[in-house]
Amino acid sequence: MKMITTLALATMMTVPAFAQDTTVIGVSIPAATHGWAGGMNFHAREAIERLEETYPQLDFVLATASDPGKQVSDVEDMMATRNIDALVILPFESDPLTGPVAAVADSGAWVTVVDRGLAVEGIEDLYVAGDNPGFGRVSGEFFVSQMPEGGNIVALRGIPTSIDNERVAGFEAAIEGSGIEILDMEHGNWNRDDSFEVMQDFLSKHADIDAVWASDDDMAIGALAAIEAAGRTDEMWVLGGAGMKEMIARVRDGDTIVPADVTYPPAMIATAIELTALNFVSSAPVSGDFIIGSVLITQDNAERFYFPESPF
Amino acid sequence: MTEQTKPRRPRLDLQVLGPIIALAVLIVIGALMNENFLGYGNITNVLSRSAFIGIIAVGMTFVITAGGLDLSVGSMAAFIAGCMILAMNALVPMMGTGWSTIFAGMAIALALGLVAGLANGLLITRARIEAFIVTLGTMGIFRSLVTWLADGGTISLDFTLRGVYRPMYYGGILGVSWPIIVFAVVAIAGEIAMRHTSFGRHCAAIGSNEQVARYSAIPVDRVRAWTYVLLGILVGIATIMYVPRLGSASSSTGVLWELEAIAAVIIGGTMLKGGFGRVWGTVVGVLILGLIDNLLNLTDLVSPYLNGAIQGVIIILAVVLQRQKKAER
Amino acid sequence: MGLDVSGDPVLSLNGVCRDFGQVRVLHSVDFALHAGAVHALIGENGAGKSTCMKILGGYLSASDGAVRHNGQDTVFASAQQAESDGVVMIHQEFNLAEQLSVEQNIFLGRELRKGVFLDHAQMRKQTQDLLDRLETRVDPAARVEDISVSDKQMVEIAKALSRNARVLIMDEPTAVLTNREAAVLFRQIERLRADGVAILYTSHKLDEIARLADMITVLRDGRVVAHGAGAEFDEDRMARDMVGRDLTNLYPDHDGPVGQEPVLEVENLTVPGLVEGLSFNLAPGEVLGFAGLVGSGRTEAMEGLMGLRAATGTIRRNGQPVTIRRMSDATQVGLGYLTEDRKGRGLILSQGMRPNLTLLALRKFVRRLIDRRAEEAALDTAITEFDIRAPHRDVAVGNLSGGNQQKLLLAKTMLNAPEIVIIDEPTRGIDIGTKQQIYAFIRTLAEQGRAVIVISSEMAEVIGLADRVVVMRQGRKAGELTRAEISEDSIVRLAMGLDGKDYAA
Repeated sequence: MKMITTLALATMMTVPAFAQDTTVIGVSIPAATHGWAGGMNFHAREAIERLEETYPQLDFVLATASDPGKQVSDVEDMMATRNIDALVILPFESDPLTGPVAAVADSGAWVTVVDRGLAVEGIEDLYVAGDNPGFGRVSGEFFVSQMPEGGNIVALRGIPTSIDNERVAGFEAAIEGSGIEILDMEHGNWNRDDSFEVMQDFLSKHADIDAVWASDDDMAIGALAAIEAAGRTDEMWVLGGAGMKEMIARVRDGDTIVPADVTYPPAMIATAIELTALNFVSSAPVSGDFIIGSVLITQDNAERFYFPESPF
Repeated sequence: MTEQTKPRRPRLDLQVLGPIIALAVLIVIGALMNENFLGYGNITNVLSRSAFIGIIAVGMTFVITAGGLDLSVGSMAAFIAGCMILAMNALVPMMGTGWSTIFAGMAIALALGLVAGLANGLLITRARIEAFIVTLGTMGIFRSLVTWLADGGTISLDFTLRGVYRPMYYGGILGVSWPIIVFAVVAIAGEIAMRHTSFGRHCAAIGSNEQVARYSAIPVDRVRAWTYVLLGILVGIATIMYVPRLGSASSSTGVLWELEAIAAVIIGGTMLKGGFGRVWGTVVGVLILGLIDNLLNLTDLVSPYLNGAIQGVIIILAVVLQRQKKAER
Repeated sequence: MGLDVSGDPVLSLNGVCRDFGQVRVLHSVDFALHAGAVHALIGENGAGKSTCMKILGGYLSASDGAVRHNGQDTVFASAQQAESDGVVMIHQEFNLAEQLSVEQNIFLGRELRKGVFLDHAQMRKQTQDLLDRLETRVDPAARVEDISVSDKQMVEIAKALSRNARVLIMDEPTAVLTNREAAVLFRQIERLRADGVAILYTSHKLDEIARLADMITVLRDGRVVAHGAGAEFDEDRMARDMVGRDLTNLYPDHDGPVGQEPVLEVENLTVPGLVEGLSFNLAPGEVLGFAGLVGSGRTEAMEGLMGLRAATGTIRRNGQPVTIRRMSDATQVGLGYLTEDRKGRGLILSQGMRPNLTLLALRKFVRRLIDRRAEEAALDTAITEFDIRAPHRDVAVGNLSGGNQQKLLLAKTMLNAPEIVIIDEPTRGIDIGTKQQIYAFIRTLAEQGRAVIVISSEMAEVIGLADRVVVMRQGRKAGELTRAEISEDSIVRLAMGLDGKDYAA
């Protein structure tokens, strides 16, 4: 048994020896099923293109998965057929991916985990993530600053996940004791159509709404359409999140119903890929945690966050 | 000897009344829970947003009655919406931001629906591949085409054009919004076609027994292909009503519309295995589905996490109610 | 037959009535099944035979009166319960799972086990034993879908035997069997009788009844009209009692004029692999019989002619060549075809009579929309003209008796007013009274100057109806017989290949 393992290892070793001068970096991300993921896909491809041009010794493998199962297969295929030296992964869900990613780490490859942490700590060499509780907190603090007297708001939540839970918890903590009351909260699933319908029903149900925490720019667009259709644009304003370019443009142009936005940049995947690449092409130390804070975008700083070519 | 299953022909036919009772119960619950429920605004909201699924479900009724199935309609709607928006944006420099551009966009949507439906229909009837597989395939194709067109993001309609086009969803005549009017026209035309034309009769015959249809000189393949073409065109019409609402399309547009449409058809009393269909039932089914969502949002009865469970229970109940009689001896 | 049937009955109906809605279909019926005796229940379609059988088999309950099992009043809650009490009914439409094997079907629901696993060896062995007993050479592992209709019948019987049936109810078991297969079945019935099984047997074939029955009960309009030992009945008496009138001339006279100019000429009709170079002519006023063994290509030839199968050949209608690619081409040039498979291809069983009647000729009822009133009127006419008997107008066609289904199918085809009518097995599974009506109708068609083709496997029918007979053998025309030449012997010789140029084969 042991001999077979050794043999197998020996066979595996021959491949990198053969392709010694190129480093293969696998990138595994969820497919572009909603706006933010679309932006993330765009930035991943853009970063890969740029890095492959700059560093000919780097070779990237990009796989997009539409469900956790597919992503596990992707990672296993990269290990088996491409013999990757590093893996940059934005896990669909933490638990199902923990085992397969640990296997990659055990094989000696570099592992970078993005956005969603694995279920077991210490597997990854580098962790790049947005700050979900912080995203909720920054949003909540903006509400408190805009509504010093308190008031009635409704909230739209994303797809039920730990990300969404962390954001909502951060938000609720930040507005606690401020006199702001959440009248109603439903899942808009980070989807324009769903949040349009939920917002229509909120408007039917509640006569007095001062503001809407849409928690995502796609959902904000849906909610805004419902508010406009109901002719109640003068009563309330909407805070989205993530930094979609249309919304940033509205903030920049001083739209009163969209006074601000909170970043949760899909470009964090680019950060992760670049840092991983740096590990192989330079001697700069890049291991550890890299948390990208959520920033409040207002009319004053909107220009800095506006990327016209991004699809998001 | 005859083998009627009931000693007397039931006057209170649950097959007919089942879905109507379910709808009535939902309306009563809604009215009791929230005084805005029966208000003009809420009714308009629910009917307007049910219109897309409704228009598609009318077409789906014919496909299912003829023994087929179409899983691709949701993706098809997203694809058509994406193409329609891109085409209108491209036409702005030539045709300006007026109704002429929008009419051109509508024509493109209808043409695309026709072509997409024809593709489904021909693959099913000519290549003799099961409808489930063909439309599962085209579902994936349309979905990834729209993702590709949108570059993973969102395709947005030209801002000025959006303003011009907007009344198509939000406006109307005599206080009835356009989606409701179009849905009503499609539903009435569908009901007439199903009950009073050769096409409807032929669909039911094919769905009941394809051999009998063939031996009755019915062009089985042509009728069957037509059901998909009809559905494709109706998807085009639904898209025409959908685009002005948010003025955008993305890969998440129309997700699961196919299942909602199929569910509405079955709730309405059409047989999933084909052979019997009724369009008015489908309309009731669509309204039931639309009202469930609305009710769950308007009330605080259950945790939002359980919305899907409530939907499931009501869908199953609505069907149980009308099938019960059949099990009896 | 010298059997003792004076003992206590195993299963009996005592004053049983049955109502469907307001309609009483059984009026105080009495009869009794005895161990070791074959009891034939005969009557026209709609006389109440099926209802009686279903009540005995636990599929229906009696509205009044009692079912007595081993001397005790019994109400079978379900067919399953009747089966577990040893009363098994074999349906005309088989109750077999088509996708399962013969063996799996026989043990369906009561599989033998060894621990938690199925005991395949034992089941295989028992199945083989049963099939051997039935002299059936079907493989226990064969899928039911793939075996012949007669083998399915045998599998049904094997299934009943494996359940140790003490009472066996057989609904027209020979309707789908060839003569040879029927002979095997009769031997089995005799064996079962000797084993002390009580058998209820129905058939439209009166010679079978005369041969098998120890006791005969005749039903007419839901009442027992005659009852007695088998020896007391001859076929004439059975027919007379069933119909309630004399049936001296079952086949009508041939006295209409036959035209000289052919209305249809078929040359070299070939359906790849099934029919080879078939040529024949058809004159107005003529009934052309098509005889031959089952599988000789008669049905396939007609389906090829009608555009229902891919076929080549030259077809001339009134001397003009016509192209028929699909069935609508055929109906357009005045051809009509009644399939032999009325339940599978002729009628939509789940729908009512009106949509079935007008399906073929629907075009005639469309004035922008379908004119429902015209459809209802057409149905009225059809019901009168073809003497269709249905409990009510909206009945699902599947609930009509075979004879009434066949009449409806005739009405459906004739609604399109075809000049040439092709009828495939016009009286399969139909009672003698209805047969007579259908024969008369076929003759009327000819007298009206239409041309009729009758395909039939019943020799008597071909001889009694046809002015001329084409005999087919192995996909080819084996010969043609004029009125004067037609005889059972001449047809059989051609069909078996004992005459003509095919002799060597």
